[in-house]
Amino acid sequence: MILSWQFVLMIVLSSLFLAWFLYRPIKANLSDDDSNISINRQRQDELELDISQGLIEKAQYQEAEEEIIRTLASELNNNESKNITIKPLIWSMMIFLFVGVLSLSVYSQLAPKIIPNADNGINEPLSMTESINKLESYLIENPEDFQAWKMLGLAQVGTGNVEKSIESFEKAFLINPNDIDLLLQYASAIAANQDGKFYGKSKILIEKALSLDPQSIQVLYFSGIVAAHEGNLDGAIEFWEKALYLMSTDHPDRNIIEEALGTVLNLQVK
Amino acid sequence: MLIEVGHFALVLALIFSILLVVLPSIGLYQNKFSLAQLSKPLVWVQCFWIAVAFFVLMSAFLTNDFSVKYVADNSNTQLPILYKASAVWGAHEGSLLLWVFVLSLWSVAVSLFSKRIPSDLLNQILIVLGALSFGFLLFLLFTSNPFERLMLPPLDGRELNPLLQDFGLAVHPPMLYMGYVGLAVPFAFVVSALIRGQLDSTWLRWTRPWALISWAFLTVGITLGSWWAYYELGWGGWWFWDPVENASFMPWLVATALIHSLSVSEKRGAFKQWTVLLAIGGFSLSLLGTFLVRSGVLTSVHAFATDPTRGLFILIFLFIVIGGSLVLYSMRYNLLQKSNPFALFSRETGLLINNILLVTAMLSVLLGTLYPLILDSLNLGKISVGAPYFKAVFVPIMLPAVLALAIFPFVRWKKDNFSRISSLLRYDWIGIVLLTLLARVVLTDNIYVLIAIGLFIWVTVHIMVLFINRIREKSKFSLAFMGMIIAHLGIAVFVLGATVTTQLGIEKDIKMSINESQNIAGYDFIFNGVNRYERDNYSGFMGDINVYKAGKKIAQLSPEKRYYQSGMPMTEAAIDPSFTRDLYVALGEELAGGAWSVRVYYKPLVRWIWLGGLMIAIGALFAAIDRRYFLRVKS
Repeated sequence: MILSWQFVLMIVLSSLFLAWFLYRPIKANLSDDDSNISINRQRQDELELDISQGLIEKAQYQEAEEEIIRTLASELNNNESKNITIKPLIWSMMIFLFVGVLSLSVYSQLAPKIIPNADNGINEPLSMTESINKLESYLIENPEDFQAWKMLGLAQVGTGNVEKSIESFEKAFLINPNDIDLLLQYASAIAANQDGKFYGKSKILIEKALSLDPQSIQVLYFSGIVAAHEGNLDGAIEFWEKALYLMSTDHPDRNIIEEALGTVLNLQVK
Repeated sequence: MLIEVGHFALVLALIFSILLVVLPSIGLYQNKFSLAQLSKPLVWVQCFWIAVAFFVLMSAFLTNDFSVKYVADNSNTQLPILYKASAVWGAHEGSLLLWVFVLSLWSVAVSLFSKRIPSDLLNQILIVLGALSFGFLLFLLFTSNPFERLMLPPLDGRELNPLLQDFGLAVHPPMLYMGYVGLAVPFAFVVSALIRGQLDSTWLRWTRPWALISWAFLTVGITLGSWWAYYELGWGGWWFWDPVENASFMPWLVATALIHSLSVSEKRGAFKQWTVLLAIGGFSLSLLGTFLVRSGVLTSVHAFATDPTRGLFILIFLFIVIGGSLVLYSMRYNLLQKSNPFALFSRETGLLINNILLVTAMLSVLLGTLYPLILDSLNLGKISVGAPYFKAVFVPIMLPAVLALAIFPFVRWKKDNFSRISSLLRYDWIGIVLLTLLARVVLTDNIYVLIAIGLFIWVTVHIMVLFINRIREKSKFSLAFMGMIIAHLGIAVFVLGATVTTQLGIEKDIKMSINESQNIAGYDFIFNGVNRYERDNYSGFMGDINVYKAGKKIAQLSPEKRYYQSGMPMTEAAIDPSFTRDLYVALGEELAGGAWSVRVYYKPLVRWIWLGGLMIAIGALFAAIDRRYFLRVKS
């Protein structure tokens, strides 16, 4: 958990704010009896207005007036209780301790274990190998963390350890088999181990991604590659043209797809 | 680190909601005023931290912080800044944060604008509101954290649902939530009175303005939603009887019954049981709506999530809130039994009829909404209950309610007789019949439209008579009276608009080639073709259609067909609005030979639907700021 000065400041400020009101309590509003008396008095005035507007008959007016009096009589309590004073310092300290301990405990349960880009006292970014080691030790305690497995797989691809990355992606895949990004990364890692060819499991993964999101630009791009590898140039062209259609004109990946499309179109011409 | 500050702020808000329940309760039951009065500062500090969390999340959207999963899932760099800000509540987690924020704002409003409410009652009300916010904050933090980080932040985010990339998202949910969550305030008043065992004049008096304000917001929220659906969904409808629409409509019906019931309870000391049950029912239905939207039991344009854990949490919360308040109700039942008598024909009876009709209407909507869900959950098959059921059941129930709302303002409190009313209004009734017959001769022979015209004249004439009578008597026009008049007139305007547009509207799906002309309802629509265009986060086609009436050009319409980055196509209708009719054009698909399929609608009086809704809300606000709520208290 991250315990930063900001959190401490937030707790202290809030506690001080409350302590202020323990030392200087807000003035009380009127009592129940005063309120009921004034409201029933107002009801009487409104009743008179009703009779002047013909909204109630004379006989009913008297009945209603008696009802108001009876209601007020039943509502009056006159049970003003004596105010018991408290020691503001003790209550202020208790509030501070309660807020501090409980908020930090709850937050420690909810907060992420690793925060991307968070300045938590580490000035130098971790090297790739250090990141992998950290992730591996984290995953021993949290083997069900899908994102961590995926991140580990990516880091392992980054260090050239494709075999290991396939294992990590497989672990992530077992936790969540419907994550498009994982399916593409996993398929790419398998393909990298097959001389860059998308067949077998890598092809199945791309097909699964396509069935999950047929409008995704990345999925369409990879589907085009699979089709091209199978010699289905028309299929590849269709996928990439669709991807280009869906892309904005200034999309950063547009050139890559245009280049791939150009290559396939040249092949077709030849 | 800012994101962690936002997350921690929410945790602090949760802790302060616990303190809000505990400390003032100790103060109230041990007569320690210094602790009881802490309810106000606790509400303020809780609201402050929720506001911090809310604006931290908004800043994450505005600065494209895709390390936050919620931001990465619902925004991208290309999204216009207004939609980035409103995307905060565009999906489940953020909308729940907005919900909690709105609840805290209502709590602050109650703490600030309740100087005439006795301290003990006010502290108890804030405790109940604190308990509710505790439940929602727990739900938010443990099942729907909007500050969840991504281990691998993407370079760009996904996309906000294109349907939500509209100004409507900026205004409809906040208004609706103000209404939905606002119903927590009358609920808190009632529960506080039940806890204290003091069901006196004070809680009745002060529940009403808060109920009116939340009802006004709910009305505006529903009206805005209807208007948004009309222009955004591309098929010209304004109400679809979608289960989630029904989920907002049901609390509205009950809240309508509540504000009427409160007026009787407050003025004449009758219907207290009803009032208590309606306040509990209104908020319970708003929680039911939350459950339907967020549990995954519904598939709808409004549905946020398909997570059963969330559904279970809300179900448990719903059970605690409804169950707990009904247990309290049964414990205090003897205090609620006392009711002042009234005759069979009296204003009280009229308001009772109004209550019965509104609650029956709500039950019919509830049945139509839940029945398919219950069948499905019991594996008894899938059925769909649509507009025909709701129209067949709802309209006949509401017809007598509209008739009654014109008559009963003339009826006296406690006792009256029909002969007095009939002798007072008989010439007006003859006039109304004659005017309706005239409409039959001059305007239309459509029976439904004639009924709607008849009802419109019925309500309008009665309101005019009421108005003239007051002027003759030289009576003062209170804001409450004006509010009642405006709201009832709003109902009449709505009924006429809804009926005329449904019955006399024209809808045509046509194929249009370039320079082709089509005549609909006396208007010539000339198709000039379609142009392709590009925007930051979508590309699309824009049609060009000129509209002529009697040879004179009256509008140029540019309907669009947009394709967002996700590939989702969106229809943006082009509308030529006016007070008496809308001309509505939506672009369909491209056909062979440069032709396009085009949907053209002629919508008479469609704007009256939302005008009516707006009038109802304004009426409620007038009533809520009546002078009687601002009179100085004499001790």
